[in-house]
Amino acid sequence: MDYLLHVMILALIYSVFAMSLNLELGYAGLYNFGHVAFFGIGAYVSALLSQAGVPVSAAMLCALAAAGIAGALLAVPALRVSGDYFGIATLVFAEMFRLVCLNERWLTKGPMGLPGIPRPAWIAPGVDGMPAYLLFTFLAAVGTFVFIRRLTGSPFGRALRVIREDEHMAQAFGKNILLFKVKAIVAGSVLAGWAGTLWAHYISYISPADFTLTETMLVLLCVVLGGRGTNWGPVVGAIAVVFFGEAVRFLPIPQALTRYVAPLQGIIYGGILVVIMMKMPNGLIPEHRRKNA
Amino acid sequence: MSYYLQLLLNGVIAGAVYALFAVGLTLVYGVFRFINFAHAELISWGAYLALMFSSPPVSLPLYLAVIPAIVLTAVIGLSQDWFIYRPLRRGSPITLLIASIGLSYMLRNVLRLIWGSDLMTFSLPPARAFEFSGYYVTGIQLLMLASALLFLMILYLLLTKSLIGKSLRATADNLELAAIMGVSMPKVSAVVWTLASVFAAAGGILLALDTNLEPMMGGANLIKAFAAVLLGGAGNVWGALLGGLFIGIAENLSVAFFSPGYKDFVSFAVIFLLLLFRPRGIFGLLTGVR
Amino acid sequence: MMCVFLLCTGPLSAAEVKVGSNTPLSGKLSVYGEGFQQAMLLALEEVNAGGGIKGRPMQIVFEDNNSTAAGAVSAIQKLITVDKLPLIFGPAASSNFLAVCPIAQQNKTVLIAAESAAAEISKCGSFVFRVFPSDALQGIGVAELTQSLKYDQVVLTYINNDWGVGLAEIFKKKFTAAGGKILDEFAHDEGKTDYRSEVLRIRKSNPKAVVNLTYIKEGATVLKQAYENGLKVQWLMGSASKSPKLVELAGEAAEGVIGTYPTFSQETPQYKAFKAAWDKKYPDKKIPVFGEYNYDMVKLTAKALGMAKSMDPDDLRQAMIDAGKGYMGVTGDKTFDENGDVGAVYGRWTVKQQEIQDFK
Repeated sequence: MDYLLHVMILALIYSVFAMSLNLELGYAGLYNFGHVAFFGIGAYVSALLSQAGVPVSAAMLCALAAAGIAGALLAVPALRVSGDYFGIATLVFAEMFRLVCLNERWLTKGPMGLPGIPRPAWIAPGVDGMPAYLLFTFLAAVGTFVFIRRLTGSPFGRALRVIREDEHMAQAFGKNILLFKVKAIVAGSVLAGWAGTLWAHYISYISPADFTLTETMLVLLCVVLGGRGTNWGPVVGAIAVVFFGEAVRFLPIPQALTRYVAPLQGIIYGGILVVIMMKMPNGLIPEHRRKNA
Repeated sequence: MSYYLQLLLNGVIAGAVYALFAVGLTLVYGVFRFINFAHAELISWGAYLALMFSSPPVSLPLYLAVIPAIVLTAVIGLSQDWFIYRPLRRGSPITLLIASIGLSYMLRNVLRLIWGSDLMTFSLPPARAFEFSGYYVTGIQLLMLASALLFLMILYLLLTKSLIGKSLRATADNLELAAIMGVSMPKVSAVVWTLASVFAAAGGILLALDTNLEPMMGGANLIKAFAAVLLGGAGNVWGALLGGLFIGIAENLSVAFFSPGYKDFVSFAVIFLLLLFRPRGIFGLLTGVR
Repeated sequence: MMCVFLLCTGPLSAAEVKVGSNTPLSGKLSVYGEGFQQAMLLALEEVNAGGGIKGRPMQIVFEDNNSTAAGAVSAIQKLITVDKLPLIFGPAASSNFLAVCPIAQQNKTVLIAAESAAAEISKCGSFVFRVFPSDALQGIGVAELTQSLKYDQVVLTYINNDWGVGLAEIFKKKFTAAGGKILDEFAHDEGKTDYRSEVLRIRKSNPKAVVNLTYIKEGATVLKQAYENGLKVQWLMGSASKSPKLVELAGEAAEGVIGTYPTFSQETPQYKAFKAAWDKKYPDKKIPVFGEYNYDMVKLTAKALGMAKSMDPDDLRQAMIDAGKGYMGVTGDKTFDENGDVGAVYGRWTVKQQEIQDFK
């Protein structure tokens, strides 16, 4: 039962993360392959501050701010290029972030990571706190969902979709495209940072190895699998990916074969990405075109 | 002073191998206009296949084992195109990119499944380097330099003197026009992928000879190759060559000033800055394969 | 399927006494993890052949941690939350162990280490024990070795993780306090295939000896590349590099390396009995590195479980302390100090004629 709680908490955290990427990728058409950096910034800032004695809620808020600022700082230069080049620029940014975390031992303890990250004051540590943490992440996920729905339903959201489909048309309508895109990225980065703080305070241990290209690929899988451009899509995708990842622990695999499990999982994840791109690039839940715009 | 010159020397040799990778990547980009993430796996598979053929039960001597290794890697490269990229070519470039990310992850894990995640080597005994007035170069490093030069020379002849080479350049210039003029797309496709795979495999084997094999070896070098491609301007073969040398040298010299842990940072920073300020590359080319 | 599985867990609901093991069965440490498991199973067999724990058989629930810290955290959470095990054998690498310590301490789960040497672990808490000595002692050993060989100026390099950083700190303190000078020091990353930049940096200081505190693969690569580039120094290494695999990977380049390691006599009756039992169960396999420690860990745990008044965390913990007092295992005296650490004697090893031998 408790393990089920554990997996649900992970799935909810990942759905916040996936929704935040979807805001940029699905709605705004921005291929941010470096999204994991903001997840990491949220996690590290919150962890470092709370280990230094700052109360967890304050640390989390600072982390969100940090992620948002970082998002803005990346967005302004990176948006000079578009499409796949933007994807590469953001991907490289994430790798640079990871290298800094790995090397600046005085700050982040490098590859050794930060163990013993405290829980928020109102949640008990260890197993006892899990139901409370589940409630916390559930509320966070719901909040994110509602926020994004409002955002995408608003004129801002509609403008984003126009920009995604046809930039020239958007320009013709007098929209300041750059500003919209920057805003979308900042919003996405803050939410990714939010997911990062939830992760750090739950797992209680983070290290640069948690923020690699593999995590980028996983969250991309969540978004792509569930369907870009809808709000439920990334949630469904995140739940599917996390459950699949953890369910494997329960399979009765003979001792001699355990070393094959991780690569097999990797093959399946990669294979799913390829197959989805080939067969249903819009994912499991297609975006609906509303009849009345 | 000799410290820096030794670093420079190491840089030139590393750069020669990066040039091999970059040239393959840029050929694909020049003709098909997308960045193949799975190129990284062509590098790793080339090396691991050579390991496979030179170990029991086949146990070929290494210089023979490289032949089936390179051939098989070319098969992998061609299959990538045939089964996955070709059907997707009409779609959006992002679909291709994501598919290549998925394919790369898949191929990397097949590698891990078969050989595990541990470091492996070709088990060559350590050999003292040759010394030239205080500078050291190992036999393998000389081999790397020579092989890279040889391959690039062949490429040059191919692109400029042969008919297929000219077709390739025509296609890179203008896909539709080339097709209308009767250039065979499947043929050009096959040539590009074969060249890219052969170069990647050769570079991978050289790299493995010099250091070791591990499943991420392709991925780590892909970023550097991409930095070189950008430096030279996507699609510019000579640019990729010079770009590769530049990255190799910059990386190695950086160690004199920064901690060795930041070595990879150099290529990342190069990519980032170039994308922001000179996406056309230092050698500012527009399109096509030159 | 999951429900049926869950019904079967819980150390008291079944007839067996269960403990958990957070083991690297996959990933980069899996080659060692396999050996640990074999040693643990050997000990388990003997415990159960001898009547188990107060008549009940003992069982070890193995959970793979994929050789990563995140994996170790995930594995220990499963062992604690699903299997509800009160005692767990901890993950191998010091960094992975340190990642799970706080979780064990918070949940009052007894956590024992058989391979983790980082000095930091002594501060983990009252529920953490280890049968392997802390590097606080090895650091002193390495400094003494360096000085006894009359090297008072060295370059120091160490692997960039908890083990390396911790050991290097202690070495530095002891070495410089005794008048030694460190010409240059820097960390090198784990798992790289190319350490030539590091080798060049060492050469820059022109040292006669280099203290290289690292693991087997990294050590072998450094040695090999240094050899190829004509760097001739006396290499002084730690216990983590002491392995035939080092010689296998580095060949000629490893010749002449000298290092320290926690020794235990191979003449004691405990060792001889262990060796005989090992050869009987695993006739074609050499005793794996840390095998003896894993064996001692399981045997000592069985003794503690037998002595414990109940499975409550505090009783288990007290039983562990009591069981350790004067316990002579294969690896020596396992009495725990107030931090849950054991003592050790440090011997010296060297590579001579492509074999690991004791250094006199």
